[in-house]
Amino acid sequence: MAEAAVKGTPAPAPSGAKSLVRVENVVKHFPAGLGTHVHAVDGVSFDIREGETLGLVGESGCGKSTLARLVTQLIPVTSGKVFFGDVELTKLRGEKLRQYRRQLQMIFQDPFASLDPRMTVGDIIAEPLDNFRIVRGRKRNQRVQELLKIVGLNPNFNNRYPHEFSGGQRQRIGIARALALNPKLVVCDEAISALDVSIQAQIVNLLEDLQREFRLTYLFIAHDLSVVRHISDRVMVMYLGKIVEIADSVETYSSPKHPYTKALLSAIPVPDPKVQRGRRLVELTGEIPSPINPPSGCRFHTRCPIARLPTPCAETEPPLEEKRRDHLAACHFSSDV
Amino acid sequence: MANPILQVRDLRTQFATEGGIVKAVDGVSFELYPGESLGIVGESGSGKSMTALSLLRLVPEPGRVVGGQVLFRDQDLLQLTSEEIREIRGRDIAMIFQDPQSSLNPVLRTGFQVDEAMLAHGKPKNQARARTLELLKKVRIPAAESRYKDFPHQLSGGMRQRAMIAMGLANAPAILIADEPTTALDVTVQAQILELLADLNRELGTAIIMITHNMGVVAGLCTRVLVMYAGEIVEQGPVEQIFANPQHPYTWSLLKSMPRVDALRHERLRSIEGMAPDLLRPPSGCRFHPRCPFRIDKCFTNEPQLEEVGPGQRAACWVTMDRARKEMGADELKDIRPGAGSNVHPGEDR
Repeated sequence: MAEAAVKGTPAPAPSGAKSLVRVENVVKHFPAGLGTHVHAVDGVSFDIREGETLGLVGESGCGKSTLARLVTQLIPVTSGKVFFGDVELTKLRGEKLRQYRRQLQMIFQDPFASLDPRMTVGDIIAEPLDNFRIVRGRKRNQRVQELLKIVGLNPNFNNRYPHEFSGGQRQRIGIARALALNPKLVVCDEAISALDVSIQAQIVNLLEDLQREFRLTYLFIAHDLSVVRHISDRVMVMYLGKIVEIADSVETYSSPKHPYTKALLSAIPVPDPKVQRGRRLVELTGEIPSPINPPSGCRFHTRCPIARLPTPCAETEPPLEEKRRDHLAACHFSSDV
Repeated sequence: MANPILQVRDLRTQFATEGGIVKAVDGVSFELYPGESLGIVGESGSGKSMTALSLLRLVPEPGRVVGGQVLFRDQDLLQLTSEEIREIRGRDIAMIFQDPQSSLNPVLRTGFQVDEAMLAHGKPKNQARARTLELLKKVRIPAAESRYKDFPHQLSGGMRQRAMIAMGLANAPAILIADEPTTALDVTVQAQILELLADLNRELGTAIIMITHNMGVVAGLCTRVLVMYAGEIVEQGPVEQIFANPQHPYTWSLLKSMPRVDALRHERLRSIEGMAPDLLRPPSGCRFHPRCPFRIDKCFTNEPQLEEVGPGQRAACWVTMDRARKEMGADELKDIRPGAGSNVHPGEDR
C-alpha cells in the first residue's frame, strides 16, 4: 500500500478493480516437426487491471514474449480467449481487430533493430498516425514534436535518423511511437534490458511519469526481477509456459509462495556486499526441461527442492489458486516454501 | 600483503578511426594480488573490456596498445614477441568471454576443445584427455564422459560457459580473466556460475579479474573493485568500502540508480542524466563533469588524479562524496542532474 502511495496511483482493490485485459485459459503451441509441438504458453489465465503495472518474469524460453504477442494479438491463440474490456479480441479479425490494436501498443527490447534506419525519427513516430489516418500536414508535425517533448527529446530532432541517437534516446523514440495513438495498454517487452544501468533508471522513471500522466496500463516483461519488482504493482512469474505465481510485488519478495519464485529471487545478486554474502542461494538442480515434452504433474517438479515424488508433484498438476488474499500460486506445498 | 602478481602501469589503448583517435583505455594503473578476485565495473564504452583484452594483447584491429606496462613475473607482457605472449596466454593467464556460443568451435567436440588448450602448451594427448574429464567434473558438468563427446550445440548456455571455464583452468593459470561471463545467461544459471568461480578462486587460488557491468556480481564475488568511466579508473578500493562509502560521484550515482530486489519500499530511482561521453572528444577536466551533480568550477578545466580517500580506497574527484554530503545535501537529492547539488552550470555561474 505504501508503495502505491509513493507512485501516486491508487492501489487497485483486490477483486473490485476493473480489468482492462482478461486472459482466459490461453494456449499457444508451435509445430516442432514430426507431429510434435512446443508448448510455449499452456493454459494461462490472468487479468491486467486498469492503471496498474503488471510485471511478468521468467527465464528464457518460459513463454513470456509469446504471451505478450498473444495479449496484443500479434499472433493467434491456439485456444482460449483474450478480452480487452468487454470485447473478445480472439474473435475479431482483419480491420476490426486492427482498430482495437490502436489501444494496445508495444515497446521492444532492441532499440537498434526496432527502428527503421532509413526513416527519419519524425516519420517513425508518425507512422502509426499515418496508418490510421489520424492527422496530416502541419498537425502531424505538431503531434510528432509534442511526442518528442513528452519523452524528453528535443522536438527539433524530427528530421534526424536513428543512427544519430544513443541507445537510451532510441528507446525514447520507441516509446514516443508507442504513445502516438493514445493507447490504453503498453506492453514493454524487455524494453530496458539492452540499456546501461544509468540509462535504465532514466527510462524506468520516464515510463512511471508517463503512466501517471496518461493513465496508462503496463504489462512489463523482463528477466531482471529487480527492475520488474521496482516498477510493478503486481508480479507474475512464468515457468515453462505456465503461470506459477501472481502477487503484489512487495509480497512476492517478502513471502513467495512458489519454490521457483523463491529460487529466482535468491539468484539475483544484491548490490551490497554485506547483504549479498549473507544470502543463501536456493540451488536449482538440472536444466529447464524441453517445452516440447514438458514434465508431468507440476512442471517444476524435476528441479524443485521441496517436491514430493512421485505423489503428488509428478502426478497431479497444482492449480493456480489463491493462497492468501490476492496472492495466487500453483504449488501443492506452498506453505513449505 | 604479498607482492602483486600483475602490475599494470599507465596502460593506454587507442583506436585510429576515420573521425580521429579514440582513447579507449587512457592511463589505467592497478595491481592484482595472488588469489584475489578483482572486479572491474563500468558501463558500455567505459574501457573495461578493452583493459582486459590489452593485458593479453588481444585488442582487435584497428585498436593498439600504445603505451604503458603490464608486468607479470618480472616481464613486461607488452614487450614480448608474439610467440612469447602466446606461451603466456592460456597457460599463465587465461580468459573467458561473454558469449560461450561464439567462443566455442561448433564443429569440434567440446571435450577436444578443452584438450586443445593443453595440447597447445605441450601436454601429451592422453594426459590432456584425463585432465579434461577431471576439469569437466570440477566445473560440475554432469555425465562428463558423455559430455566430452558432445558438440557445443548439444549443451545449454550454462553448460557451454562451464566448458569455457574448464578450458580456462586447463593449464592451472595464475590468473583467470572473465569478461562478462554471465551476462548472456539466465539469473539462476548466473548464480551457479558465480558460485563456481568463487569456489575455484578459493580452492585453486586462481586470481580472478571479473569484468562486469553488474554491481551485484561484484558484491557477491570480488574483494576489490575498480570503477571505470570513459577509459579511466575513477575509483578503486575494497568492495565493502566502495559499496558502503563510495567517494566518487559516479560510483555513488551508479549505486543509487539500481533497483534492489530486496528493497521494501518503492522509491523513485535516481537516474544519472545525460549519456556516456564521446571518446573521440572526451570532456575537458574531469570526464564525468557534464553529468556530475556535485561539480565545481575546477572540474571543468582540471583533470583530477586518483588520491587516497580511505584505507586502500582511492578516487579521482575534486569534491568527493564526503564533502558533497556535508555541503551539497547529496543524500536529499531527488534527481542526479548535472550540477544539482553544487548549482554549477556552464554559462550561468561560469
